[in-house]
Amino acid sequence: MNVWDSFKIALSSILNHKIRSILTMLGIIIGVAAVIIIVAIGQGTKKQMTDELFSTDKNAIDIYYEYIPPEDESEMFWEEPVLTSEDIQTLAAVPGVKAVIATNQGWGMMAHDDEQGEMQITGVGAEFFPARDIQVVEGRALYAADNDGLNRVVLIDTIAREKFFKETENPIGEIIDLNDNPYKIVGVYESPLPEQFRNTETGEMLMPRSVISMMFGNREIEQLSVIASDAENISETGRLAAETLTAEKALENGQYSTNDFEDYERELNTMISLLTLLIGSIAGISLLVGGIGVMNIMLVSVTERTREIGLRKAIGATRRKILLQFLIESITLTSLGGLIGIGLAAIGSILVSEFSPITATVSPIIVLIGVSFSALIGIIFGLLPANKASKLSPIEALRYE
Amino acid sequence: MMKLSDITKVYGKGLLEVPVLHGIDLTIEDGEFVAIMGPSGSGKSTLMNIIGFLDYPSSGTYELNGEQIASAKESILAKLRNEHVGFVFQQFFMFPRDNAIKNVASPLVYAGVSKRERTARAQDLLIKVGLGDRMKHLPNQLSGGQKQRVAIARALVNNPTILLADEPTGALDSNTSEQIMKLFTQLNEEGKTVIIVTHEEEIAAYAKRIITIKDGRITDDRRVIT
Repeated sequence: MNVWDSFKIALSSILNHKIRSILTMLGIIIGVAAVIIIVAIGQGTKKQMTDELFSTDKNAIDIYYEYIPPEDESEMFWEEPVLTSEDIQTLAAVPGVKAVIATNQGWGMMAHDDEQGEMQITGVGAEFFPARDIQVVEGRALYAADNDGLNRVVLIDTIAREKFFKETENPIGEIIDLNDNPYKIVGVYESPLPEQFRNTETGEMLMPRSVISMMFGNREIEQLSVIASDAENISETGRLAAETLTAEKALENGQYSTNDFEDYERELNTMISLLTLLIGSIAGISLLVGGIGVMNIMLVSVTERTREIGLRKAIGATRRKILLQFLIESITLTSLGGLIGIGLAAIGSILVSEFSPITATVSPIIVLIGVSFSALIGIIFGLLPANKASKLSPIEALRYE
Repeated sequence: MMKLSDITKVYGKGLLEVPVLHGIDLTIEDGEFVAIMGPSGSGKSTLMNIIGFLDYPSSGTYELNGEQIASAKESILAKLRNEHVGFVFQQFFMFPRDNAIKNVASPLVYAGVSKRERTARAQDLLIKVGLGDRMKHLPNQLSGGQKQRVAIARALVNNPTILLADEPTGALDSNTSEQIMKLFTQLNEEGKTVIIVTHEEEIAAYAKRIITIKDGRITDDRRVIT
């Protein structure tokens, strides 16, 4: 008698008690499905968050000012040092720095013909375009002269172009109204931001940061980031740039620092591992309860089939063969439950991906782990009933009423 | 040849001890047709279980073809049950969801015989016991006599030397009983050792040797001269 024969006997015994088998498998099904779907969602979330954090600027790092109050001072009012074009040049000279991006922000009501809408405006320099790899689809990018000469020129993104201009219309050279002041459109660009961060209603625009500073009263440089020539050394380059800037500005009660993505990533990983652990233990309990259910039903099955066991022994089945038969039956039961659970998880993942922004994917490794784990439960919880069956004395089993 | 010497069997332990067999000495040669008779509770079924390796004696020795097996391991007894004996029970004992062929072939599964050969041998034996037209029937589609024929075919399938039958006609009418007993007689004439446990004189009359047991002791052992 080989394993295949045992498997066929097991399968027919499971199919002969369909409802009972499905109810028994339910704990395993729910447990396995829960584990797989949670892992799938967790991985999907992680991937999405990682993509969002690191997608556009894999080798860019922000530099920000940090105020350190003197020990005897408790006042919370402080002013950020003013950054100038010279500072940018200093930073650009730091080894490992490929480019420096200095920007500021503004909001404005744009009007053109009968259309109008709130626009987010980013003030940039000429270096912004190559550094961020901005695709200018119509017209031109900004020149250094635009900043120096305070030229009131703007670039609108493709969304704004679609909103304010007809397909056939040429926006280049058009004068638009922004907070009741005229500006000239010199170009149209494709926004590099991921879709979920874009203002999809009215779009965005770029203009010389000196113009924003003049028209909106902002400081000329509000955000500062450096792009490293080597993405591997991004943290180090950022730190070096921040230190250089701190020294350059001869700061007393403050310093320039960088946001280290590695910290973010580490935090994110810790959070996800914690969540996975929590859900994993819940699923583990479900599997444990499911396993006990399997053991229970297998014990019932052994009692019900006492005579069959007696007969099998009378025609020459050894203890091992009986043990193996019942063990294979419980493994088949739990593995089948595991497979159904995986099927449900796959359907669940498709639904989650369809109706939420998270892309949940069932990885083959998880499927493998799911099946082997449910098989393991079959072994663990099938051992006691199978052992009981194998130890039955043949004559007592045959006499059993 | 099987030789049982001073076999005893006690069920239970301590105060609940029930002695069933008291020092049985018995030798059965190959090819004999033996009936073991006795009233119920006399220990005849227990003796048959010990002869058929289904149960261990409490003491005594059991020699099968010169080998000691009274205290052999369980796996060895299972092998002996598979290869040396075929059982026929009063209650037939079928696998209810398997057809006649599969029921007959079931011991061969444990003997490691291939499926093709299992089916072929089972079919041959079903024809031999007169059930050539009932091969695909399930046990509940067969009469008592037909079920007992399936059971006899099953007992024969691994070509054992001994056939052990415990009240094989107990659940059958007299007409069918006669047919079954004729089948046993035929099998004995073909060389099988047949041992039948019964409490009916008419059934024992088919045997060539009648052993009577009372209160766990052999009280009579006579050969029928034909």
